[in-house]
Amino acid sequence: MDIERTVQIYRCEDTVDGILSAIYEAGISGYGHDYIRIEPIRMDSPANLSLFAEYIDVETEQEKAEKVIRAVYEKISARAYTYLMYAAAADAPDRGDALYQFLVHGFSMGDRVCDAFSILSVKRVFELKRAVGNESHYSREFMRFKEVSREPRLMLATFEPTHRVLPMVMEHFRDRFPGEWFIIYDKHHLEAGFHTAEDELEIRLLTTEEAERLEALSEKEEDYVALWKTFFHAIAIEERKNEKLQRNHMPLHYRTYVTEFIE
Amino acid sequence: MIFKENATLQEKLAILADGAKYDVACTSSGVSRKGRKGEIGNTSASGICHSFSADGRCISLLKILFTNECIYNCKYCVNRCSNDIPRATFTPEEVCTLTMEFYRRNYIEGLFLSSGIVESPDHTMELICQTLHALRTIYRFNGYIHCKAIPGTSPELVEEAGWYADRMSVNLEFPTAKGLRELAPNKTRETILTPMQQIQNGVRESRELLGMKGGNQSAYWYTQKRLGRALPGDTEKEKLLREKDKDRKKVINKGTSEEKSPERQKAAFTGVNGTALTRIKKRDISRGFVPSGQSTQMIIGATGESDYEIMAVTEALYQNFDLKRVFYSAFINVNQDSTLPAVDGQPPLRREHRLYQADFLLRYYGFRAADLLSESRPFFNTYLDPKCDWALGHLEQFPVEVTKADYQTLLKVPGIGTKSASRIVKARRTGMLDYQSLKAMGVVMKRAVYFITCHGKMMYSFLKIDEDYITRNLLENDRDVMKGFGEKVTYKQLSLFDDNGDMRAFS
Ligand code: SF4
Repeated sequence: MDIERTVQIYRCEDTVDGILSAIYEAGISGYGHDYIRIEPIRMDSPANLSLFAEYIDVETEQEKAEKVIRAVYEKISARAYTYLMYAAAADAPDRGDALYQFLVHGFSMGDRVCDAFSILSVKRVFELKRAVGNESHYSREFMRFKEVSREPRLMLATFEPTHRVLPMVMEHFRDRFPGEWFIIYDKHHLEAGFHTAEDELEIRLLTTEEAERLEALSEKEEDYVALWKTFFHAIAIEERKNEKLQRNHMPLHYRTYVTEFIE
Repeated sequence: MIFKENATLQEKLAILADGAKYDVACTSSGVSRKGRKGEIGNTSASGICHSFSADGRCISLLKILFTNECIYNCKYCVNRCSNDIPRATFTPEEVCTLTMEFYRRNYIEGLFLSSGIVESPDHTMELICQTLHALRTIYRFNGYIHCKAIPGTSPELVEEAGWYADRMSVNLEFPTAKGLRELAPNKTRETILTPMQQIQNGVRESRELLGMKGGNQSAYWYTQKRLGRALPGDTEKEKLLREKDKDRKKVINKGTSEEKSPERQKAAFTGVNGTALTRIKKRDISRGFVPSGQSTQMIIGATGESDYEIMAVTEALYQNFDLKRVFYSAFINVNQDSTLPAVDGQPPLRREHRLYQADFLLRYYGFRAADLLSESRPFFNTYLDPKCDWALGHLEQFPVEVTKADYQTLLKVPGIGTKSASRIVKARRTGMLDYQSLKAMGVVMKRAVYFITCHGKMMYSFLKIDEDYITRNLLENDRDVMKGFGEKVTYKQLSLFDDNGDMRAFS
């Protein structure tokens, strides 16, 4: 007769490395896959303690995270690696669970796991990957830089993404502006990416003071803003005016930091 | 003529963006180029939009004219020489500065440079080349550049521009030579098709020389290849070898009915002979020659062509000139010219939309113009998208069993696109397929349900494969067929449609 096992809940930091560390710990525990849950600790929702579960608090360690990444890349596929990294960046409390099950299937199925839509966890990981991919794409499109200093020139952009897309966005702009100083500030996660003219890159969480200093930097820039707005209005065709279509393509909530929509 | 002496940069920008806005292409796609040390910019193969203007069109490039002065007098154009409008001209430095500063702020993906014709086509093209030269070599701009080849320009200058630009375009303007003669008296088919052919040859040579970096293939090319058909740019002999389907030649050759087909027109003059690229030793060829290929645009609704004629010309352009894209621009009578059709209120936006959808079917799905339309049915249905319309006319091919059908068959199902079709094919190899997972794969169920079975069953047992029934349901559930396209379709019109049961009455 089967004895119901106690569920093990791995509690971790609500970051990419946190989730990956928990996956690592759960993976080497040897405990039955079906009885493992991964639960990121979230500030916005109170802990949901269960009496019949065993809680294990996981320390975030980059080394553990890297081990998971390497294993997925080498033993499953590059595609599965992309799925993992994107889904881990999602703002979803169930992503650790979905990813854990996804990887369990992946280590036995190989790359084909990414096509197996009939498995619930795969479907979920795919949805998360798509959401994160979309947001990082929109962010690249609608990101706007301001010149906050002339000599040397320093450009600053602010955005408020739902998911942790800053690394993907930084990568894009680093390739685009290899010789420029720029900062991208993720106001939602209080995180920023710094890029120097020597093409060095750093992404880190900010202290409150640092965040305040960045906010203070982003005062108004006049000349090119006015020129850009002139262009933006001149390029629309009056006879084709269609604000509904404009809204479909560029919903209002994407416009907060977009120069041409700021009065 | 009003000359704006001492116009500020802002005034110039207002005038020269306004003059460029009727050019529809604003895409920045087709070439993927990494950033380079010491330069600024990269390009992404799928293109990046940066904003959407009040008309809902994407803004990807700084789309401007170099000047809106023009010695020509095309009847449909706001910049024609007989119009009394403010005129302005940029300097190359101004264009470069605007491009760089906008680019740094991530407003744009690059530059789209067009121009009215000053003095002569060659003089105009020289100004464009000067500007692009400065942008690439002095300002070290490595982002996207689209530029026009001015009809009637000498080949050296077309080539020069092609070494700086990612994409070039020559506008066909009208589907027929007759339309062009009447509305653009200073342009001829020959001055348009000659640079087009030169660019085509140049891209081919660049590709042979530099590999894919020299220019990648179009979606149309890949689709034809997948289906084992003749490829764009094939010689007659290659075409015959590749293609067994004899009907095809008839379609291509039909082109437009009242004149020689584009195919024959192309054969009628040879354009540049031998090698298209002569400056290869003297130029920076690291980006390739027009690596993102070329596009063109046709004005829709100013002259009397049918959709069938337009699609046949489009197909010939893809096939014979290896174009990346054909754009359609709903006619707006900006000059209130009495010899042109008065378009009361709205330009024919719905028609334009249907043409884009059909164009998509040609490029990605392997449909041919003659599959979609015919001499006896030369217009698209305004109420249904071309694929639904096609499917309703071919109900004998449905329902399609999603657990078995091959990729091409899946593509023909309304609601299934290229991505979802390939996901279905791959998912089948990993196990069971059900309606739940179809949805996650991106299948638009509200359209697809009428046309598919999964393990022999339709999603709901009450669904019927019946033309009237499906049409009514597609219209009911899919109000977004009308969404965002001007003309308001009232419920009354729809029920009128219900009464007489023949949707074609409205197309
Ligand atoms: S050549 Fe014709 S279409 Fe082009 S700007 Fe001049 S008048 Fe307009």
